[in-house]
Amino acid sequence: MTVAAPAMTSRGPERSRRRIKIPNERLFYAVLGFVGLLVVWEFASNFDLDPSTPGVQGLVKRILMSAPTLIWKAGVEDFSSGAIWPHITISLQEWFYGFIISCFLGISLGLSLGWFRRFRLATQPLVSALYSTPTIALFPLIVLIAGIGLESKVILVVLASIFAVIINTMVGVQSVSWKHLEIASSFGASQTQIVRSVVLPTTIPFILTGVRLAAGRSLVGVVVAEFQAANQGVGFYIALNGQTLNTARVFIGLVLLGGFGIFVGELVRLVENRFDAWRPSIHR
Amino acid sequence: MTSAPATQDLALSARGVRMEYLDRGTRERFVAIESLDLDIKQGEFVTIVGPSGCGKSTFVKLVNGLLSASQGEILVRSVAKGKSDAMVFQDSALFPWYKIIDNVSYGLVCAGVSKKQAHERAMPLIKLVGLGGFENKYPYQLSGGMQQRANLARALCVDPAILLMDEPFAALDAQTREVMQAELLRIWRGAEAEGGARKTVLFITHQIEEAVFLSDRVVVMSARPGRIMEDIRIDLPRPRDLHVKRTPEFQEYQEQIWQLIASQLKAAASQFGGSKE
Repeated sequence: MTVAAPAMTSRGPERSRRRIKIPNERLFYAVLGFVGLLVVWEFASNFDLDPSTPGVQGLVKRILMSAPTLIWKAGVEDFSSGAIWPHITISLQEWFYGFIISCFLGISLGLSLGWFRRFRLATQPLVSALYSTPTIALFPLIVLIAGIGLESKVILVVLASIFAVIINTMVGVQSVSWKHLEIASSFGASQTQIVRSVVLPTTIPFILTGVRLAAGRSLVGVVVAEFQAANQGVGFYIALNGQTLNTARVFIGLVLLGGFGIFVGELVRLVENRFDAWRPSIHR
Repeated sequence: MTSAPATQDLALSARGVRMEYLDRGTRERFVAIESLDLDIKQGEFVTIVGPSGCGKSTFVKLVNGLLSASQGEILVRSVAKGKSDAMVFQDSALFPWYKIIDNVSYGLVCAGVSKKQAHERAMPLIKLVGLGGFENKYPYQLSGGMQQRANLARALCVDPAILLMDEPFAALDAQTREVMQAELLRIWRGAEAEGGARKTVLFITHQIEEAVFLSDRVVVMSARPGRIMEDIRIDLPRPRDLHVKRTPEFQEYQEQIWQLIASQLKAAASQFGGSKE
């Protein structure tokens, strides 16, 4: 009985198969996934189980789930008539004010909470309590104090997002290495120099994580506030169209929110990359 | 209080230094260093060796001013401006968010030198330690040995009266460590050629071989509380290269110091055995 010699296989890079080079892989696959979903959705909503009542007995019920083409049509209508613009502007305004206030107030509070131990000890229970309270539970109180205009929404947005910034910044300051502080003072660095050369570089990645989270939570705050008490805004637009079974327009609202979320996320990523040059690329 | 010796040529003079710690957990006081006297002459290379926990790292921190002594005084020769000493720390002591050039010129920037000038003054030192061409890299892009070279350049950059080195090669592998020892001596001579006066070095290690190879004097400390047991002059010719480690004189020094430290370790071991019963 002879045993065949085991075949030798090459473990080097494959030469025979040429791969198509995709210039922007991230974008390519993101778009591919999204388009795939739309195609499946459209197909499913057109697939009628009972052809006598089109759109009612589909694999996906159009009246509940709409369809990409219907959403597109409704979108063109509302954008060309201009009906949707006031909703977008007011929501953007609420988001922007709330987010900016959260960032500035949150970063400064987080830095001082991290740096001053006594301040941290004194405020820790309050911060924890507010952090774990669902923001919506505070809305009736906010409306009583600030009315139902822009102010109350901005306050809610701030409350929804500021703790992400505060807590991340604080953890960042606390993660400053003792050794780096020792080195700085061994070279005679002043307090300001220590903050600039050690505390901030350590903390910035944490701050940006907080800011990224805050951007999303601010958007949640906007929609929650507009669901509660509003006559304008994307949240109001979604709620109203949901109540009138106008599902295509509900989806328009959702697409707006999702698109905005992606846009802001990418913006923060750009800023993060700018500050990340010193880290090995695995962290990027 | 003590009568000062010829202080002109002294770079460092420590008198009756005592250091006590309060352990925050157990609320117990322990003495890290007990009545330590040490004089280091200008331009001398002095190494402190001792078993771990003998207070040798504490002593450099006292010299650097990172800690202050419970008793006694430490006089450090001051230079005209800025800080008079600089420290080379153990591994990973570079700021990871700064390029090598910004790390090396850090001390100068802290002393108020403009960034541009600091960079200009840092460049010759980066070349001296053999990192020419790496000045715009980040620390993570360098090997451990190269990082310690940068660390050394950073300390030399402030032109210190005393160069303090706290186990700078402890985290390196054996071969890199030997290379770095020889390099340190080369850089020490190179800095002399560049800056005029010979640098005073206070070096901390627990490696006897390293201590003998590098130093003019090896100071052996006892186990806690740290006291000076012996102050041994190393009369090996300079410039030294790694071959000197094979000579009988070198081995003799090593043996002598090892005996001293072994006696400490034995004493500590029997003490432990005694207290158990």
